[in-house]
Amino acid sequence: MNDNNGIPVLSRRDLIKLLIGSGVSVAAALVLADPLDPLMRQVVAALQPKDEHTEPTGPRHPHWGMVIDLSKCIGCEYCVYACQATNDVPDDMRWNIHLVDQTPTGQTFHVTRPCLHCQHAPCVSVCPVTATYYREDGLVMMDYGKCIGCRYCQAACPYGARVFNWTDRGDTPNERIPAWGTPEVERRPRGVVEKCTFCVHRIDAGYARQLTPGVDPDATPACVNICPVRARTFGNLNDPDSEVSRIIANTPTFRLREDLGTDASVYYIPPEGMTI
Amino acid sequence: MTARVINFVRRSPLYVLWLLFLLVLMGIGAVSALHVLINGLGVTNLTNQLPWGLWITVDLSSIALGAGAFTLSAAVYIFGLHRYESIARAAVFVGLLGYTSAMLALAMDIGRPDRFYHPVLYWNVHSVLWEITMCVIFYTTVLLMEFIPVVIESTPLRRRRILRQIAHLLHRIMPVVALFGMGLSLLHQSSLGATYGVLTARPVWYSPSAPVLFILSAVAAGPSLTLFVTLLTGMLRRKRMIPLDVQNGVARFIGFAILAYLYLKVWSWAATNYYSHSPAIAGSIELLSENTPYGFTFWWFEILLGALVPAVIFLWPRLRRNPLLLMLASALVIGGLVVYRWNVTLSGFTVPLDWSPGVAEVFPINTYEPALVEWGVALGIVVYSWFFFSLGARFLNLYPQAKSLDEIAAEEAAAAQAHSAAPLVTQKQDADPAPLSLSDSQANSFKG
Repeated sequence: MNDNNGIPVLSRRDLIKLLIGSGVSVAAALVLADPLDPLMRQVVAALQPKDEHTEPTGPRHPHWGMVIDLSKCIGCEYCVYACQATNDVPDDMRWNIHLVDQTPTGQTFHVTRPCLHCQHAPCVSVCPVTATYYREDGLVMMDYGKCIGCRYCQAACPYGARVFNWTDRGDTPNERIPAWGTPEVERRPRGVVEKCTFCVHRIDAGYARQLTPGVDPDATPACVNICPVRARTFGNLNDPDSEVSRIIANTPTFRLREDLGTDASVYYIPPEGMTI
Repeated sequence: MTARVINFVRRSPLYVLWLLFLLVLMGIGAVSALHVLINGLGVTNLTNQLPWGLWITVDLSSIALGAGAFTLSAAVYIFGLHRYESIARAAVFVGLLGYTSAMLALAMDIGRPDRFYHPVLYWNVHSVLWEITMCVIFYTTVLLMEFIPVVIESTPLRRRRILRQIAHLLHRIMPVVALFGMGLSLLHQSSLGATYGVLTARPVWYSPSAPVLFILSAVAAGPSLTLFVTLLTGMLRRKRMIPLDVQNGVARFIGFAILAYLYLKVWSWAATNYYSHSPAIAGSIELLSENTPYGFTFWWFEILLGALVPAVIFLWPRLRRNPLLLMLASALVIGGLVVYRWNVTLSGFTVPLDWSPGVAEVFPINTYEPALVEWGVALGIVVYSWFFFSLGARFLNLYPQAKSLDEIAAEEAAAAQAHSAAPLVTQKQDADPAPLSLSDSQANSFKG
């Protein structure tokens, strides 16, 4: 646009264009600087050819769940170590922990606790950026690309299942590797929260290959596979014929802090000497 | 330019020294912040069991102490109490400094400050923290809109016609802006309490009164900080920054706000701790009393010194008249609020979670003491607001009705004479032994 003397001036429209343009550039720079950013991932995904078998399909929509039999658990911590190796988790950030507790009659028993994948998860409610969310198959997922590291989910989780990446782990060796397995997922960056995923990478890859999670070891969480006393069972809670559903139907089970209404996907069989 | 600076330093050496001192402290804060940004939050003493600490206390306190802005703006623009305009500007400035301090504290506290904008992009309307983030962003904008005219008016910027027009426009839409600001403040000041109040797994926190207690304490403590800095500025500059009736009105308002806060706080305690017995709450409080100064600080600092004593000072007219006592009372309210926010944050995390199915005491109590670097960052953030307030109190027209003490003395003398001229008024302190009723000619001779 020119003024009366033919000298180009900045019109209002040009100014708006310029402002929008610079705004978009700044946003784009922020997104590009963060390889995990959800927008960036969408762009990358859109550019790549579609893999047809990534989404779980099947006659019944699955709801993945677990049963942990406290009357069988011997506290060997194999599940703890296998999880640490498979998901590359250091000792002070364990996703799956072991405790020694006592029945009212004074008998000791062992408890292990993964993430319980609650269907009314306090962590999902409180996250200010939807970095933690429900998947349709019942998994409570973490989006490491969205997480801003506010740690409100840690305050909200009734089970202390969430751990924060306080430092950059760099190449610090993981003592559980290779004795307890090899890492199947990448290390998480500094400044985000992480937690047990039910080995979602195995579930998804296995499901795509028509394997049954909970039955085929390749599609089953590492902690379940390694248990020497078969205290952990994994499977589809929506399928009445799955082992987890049959156990829940035929055995008295309970869930941790049921009073809080979290509707957890992990059921426990009480230890001997304890009624529920 | 240099000559002017030298001249300024010569005229106010103490002021310049004070600013330099604050700059040094801010330098310490900057070095600490850099240490955290480079090495991550691992350098703090926070843990997975106790992931929020000193900085969250700074953040919560800054926002609460900024509440004077919305209360006094609401008084002026919504309730039409225009005489409070004499303190509303300072309140807005204090609010702006409080909210920017809170943003600084949050930016340090989150693990990924580079993703600060994510709440704007990825909405979770079920999260009180999301609501707070959005409200704080909008409200800081409101504060800027309220404050920009003051900056334009007080600086050479006023020479630009366009800026004057902007300032005028902003001033005209101020009632709408203030209404919007009050709505936002009522929302997020309460939601900050709800941040803790909605967490069912923590019996010390889970409470329907938390949101209301947070806003009531903020409504009391926000104007307290504004009043405190106003009185302090007046003392240092030998001026009366706001008219006495405004000072009295604000003090009375704070007094009633404290009473409302105290009323709910004591009932909240009585309903959950005294008149009922929830094992989870009772157990948590017992654990806190045995292992931490929680019980002691609750009764002495939050209730007695932080609320009851200042309420008496603010509401007793004879005490309220003494500016030093007013400053003391304001400081007590501010201190009580900071202790309250610290106690809330720490207490819920100190009591360990209880999810294991057995009866053994499985989880140890969680402890926390801020690391040196956390103190450094906190100091930097607090001093940031002091530094800019010191600049503003000197160079911005924060108090449009400020009068120097000489001016006031002269006015009072004139008023006293006018009074003594009136036939039926007795003036005990009047040193003049002249008869109470002066003739017109005598009165006129005094004026001359």
